[in-house]
Amino acid sequence: MWLWFAKLGSPKWFYELSSKWLPWLVGAMAILLSVGVIWGLLFLPPDYQQGYTSRILIVHVAVAGTSLAFFPLMAVAGTITLVWRMKLADMVAKNAAPLGAWFSFITLATGSIWGSVSWGTWWEWTDSRLVSMLFQFFLLLGVISLRSALEDSDKAAKACALLSIVGCINVVIIKYSVEWWNTLHQPSSPVSLSPDSPNGPEFWIATGIMILAVYLFLAVSLILATRNEILVRERQAQWVQDLVRQE
Amino acid sequence: MLDAIQFSSFSEFLHMGGYAFNVWSVYGLFAVFIMANLFFPLRKKQQILKEQKRRLLFSETADDAQAPAGDK
Repeated sequence: MWLWFAKLGSPKWFYELSSKWLPWLVGAMAILLSVGVIWGLLFLPPDYQQGYTSRILIVHVAVAGTSLAFFPLMAVAGTITLVWRMKLADMVAKNAAPLGAWFSFITLATGSIWGSVSWGTWWEWTDSRLVSMLFQFFLLLGVISLRSALEDSDKAAKACALLSIVGCINVVIIKYSVEWWNTLHQPSSPVSLSPDSPNGPEFWIATGIMILAVYLFLAVSLILATRNEILVRERQAQWVQDLVRQE
Repeated sequence: MLDAIQFSSFSEFLHMGGYAFNVWSVYGLFAVFIMANLFFPLRKKQQILKEQKRRLLFSETADDAQAPAGDK
């Protein structure tokens, strides 16, 4: 178990393993994304209330749901950094922050575009879901600037790890905001595949495919960024130099 | 399967039942989001490899140049 753990922390081992996995992850991502988008744009029947704007929701829900994974992910990586000082965990955490900021931004933008027709407003400061998601976006920008502000990379890693752990509180707030303070953003609709579910079973299948596709995209993009980080941080290592020569 | 397509013409498809701006801008943003976060890391990798290769070659030629000047 410990040997496995130590191995997992080795950047070289991660680089080699991810080289093998990437083609499969990219392939699965490409298939699911194409199916999700084509289905969403061509086949998904219009919602009985929202018309074709329900097509926005399959993208919005998938990106928004996945964006909540970033703080827990960074907190786990941060804990590993703090406790075991594993280099790889910090490389993942560092690259997760900007990607998470992208996810949060796209969530806000797509939600806003949907809200402009369904709620008649682009933004509402009194809605807890909207504001807590905006807060997550700023928190992630905070993590990014904290890292670049601290010159000592070891201190920066520790500070970011702590902020990521504290930031998980906001994820809980985002998740339950719609139930605790129900103002504008509706709570999650009941997921149902039965033919008489209000959103229609197709809507949920399309959403499920999109969620899987977006999670795979998160994995692919984060792995690509982490591999770059490995190449930079381990540039003195023999295996990286061999790899550079081969290119 | 093609019967399940919701639209009977291409212009109807573009129109999206009156929500063309909202639907298309969301899918456009989504496409930019996906492409950017795959393209930028890949381009950065090329830059890193190029830069490191240059540095490696430079340090190797520097070593070669120094060797004859050593006290051998």
